[in-house]
Amino acid sequence: MKIIDKLAKIDRRIIYLILAVVVILPMIFPSVLRVRVMPPVEKLFHAVDNVPKEKALIIDFDYAPQTAPELEPMGFALLRHAFRKRTKVLILSLYVQMLGLAQNALTEVIEEFNSVAETNTDSIIYGRDYVFLGWVPPPIIPILGMGESITNVYQVDYYGNRTDTLPLMKEIKNYNNVGLLVSLSGSDPPEWWIAYAQNRFGLQVGAGVTAVSASKYFSYYQTGQFSGLMVGMKGAAEYEEMIEKELAIKSRRIASEALPPLTYAHLVIMVFIVIGNISFLMQRRKK
Amino acid sequence: MKRTFPLFLVLIFGIFALLPYIIPHPIIQNTDELLRNNLLKILSAFALVLGLGSLLKVHTDKIKRKRENWEYSWVLIMTFIITSIIGLFGGVSGTGILPTSIGSFPFDIQTIYFNVVVPLGSTMFAMLAFFMASAAYRAFRARSTEATLLLIAGFIVMLGVLPLGNRISPHLPSFAQWIMDVPNVAGQRGILFGVALGAVATSLKIILGIERSWLGGGGGK
Repeated sequence: MKIIDKLAKIDRRIIYLILAVVVILPMIFPSVLRVRVMPPVEKLFHAVDNVPKEKALIIDFDYAPQTAPELEPMGFALLRHAFRKRTKVLILSLYVQMLGLAQNALTEVIEEFNSVAETNTDSIIYGRDYVFLGWVPPPIIPILGMGESITNVYQVDYYGNRTDTLPLMKEIKNYNNVGLLVSLSGSDPPEWWIAYAQNRFGLQVGAGVTAVSASKYFSYYQTGQFSGLMVGMKGAAEYEEMIEKELAIKSRRIASEALPPLTYAHLVIMVFIVIGNISFLMQRRKK
Repeated sequence: MKRTFPLFLVLIFGIFALLPYIIPHPIIQNTDELLRNNLLKILSAFALVLGLGSLLKVHTDKIKRKRENWEYSWVLIMTFIITSIIGLFGGVSGTGILPTSIGSFPFDIQTIYFNVVVPLGSTMFAMLAFFMASAAYRAFRARSTEATLLLIAGFIVMLGVLPLGNRISPHLPSFAQWIMDVPNVAGQRGILFGVALGAVATSLKIILGIERSWLGGGGGK
């Protein structure tokens, strides 16, 4: 019975140590785990893929450093998909803290494309292929205002250029010229896009959310209010799988690389839950 | 007057916020656009100043009265001042009125963001994994039928969302997805309806002046 008592009282430092080891080791020896693509991600992929040539895709980068490991790979994958398909892209953030991470993702993906581009047509050019709109507070203003006029809400872009002088913004006036908006967020913005932009202007909305906040978003996915949904690290890995399979985009698969540590960490937690329950049940039987 | 005027404003603007959804007339739509794009922006700028002022007031007060953990208030005030100075002079990315740098290290908001905010935020969240593992081991026990059901559902979803789940059985990810799509959505939808109805009721109470606690001064009913 001594073992049972010991199992019921494992020192938290031992748990921390085991968890640290199973998370760090797969990072030192990286590998990629293939995933099965589930319908919510597949639908989002097709929604992005089917954005008409004359319309734009808006990506709302609303993740902070805390949620970036889950959501940033989604942003990378979406940008790669859109630029490969030559879809017009507008980038924005509803909060100021997120702008730096959005800029980071943009710079990295654009460099990838432009480093292999041979002509001006192949390159991703600012103002022609994409515009970084930046941030306008409070969030409700851009969500509602873009339904009437995007350049009126974002009079200058992130870099300080007047948006009405950019060639792309002469074609993309308001939500009528937007094929899809994808909100990447660890909190409420995907709901706001549904409540204000979709209900009032009929905007198609997709979302990429953290695993911990996903449960509430499945209601919107089930009703068709979300055109597709990516959930957590696995959702990002599924999207990476889709763009590699369907569009032959061979780039670093950040989310797929992060799956082994995530898998082992989950397994460790599950093992400890089982140990905790076995000792709990045996102690209860003893009493 | 001090209380009646704000209540009157809330009544007028509260009702007006609803109108554009149900009246497509250009007068209503244009006024709504004007209010949102101009008045709301100005109001939020004032709110930002008030918020920052209030934050500083609370923390200077905490330091003066030496309340619990008052030392951390110094950290907040100092970082607030340093960030403001760097932001004012260095701008977002070296575009301020007096950009300064030491070697290749520029003093601007982007530098602070990538070298302070990002690592601190990531560290905070990364540490949660350790606390969650320890808490799950201690608290996630099959004490009752409901707790056992939750435990089983949790295990299936955890395994289902991992690549390993598909290797154990190709039905496992689909079953995990079903749990998220059906029982989870049923519960979530109930909560959503409850929250929405609660929000409507509270909004109506505020618009009609029944709920007045937002006015401050302990005058709530």
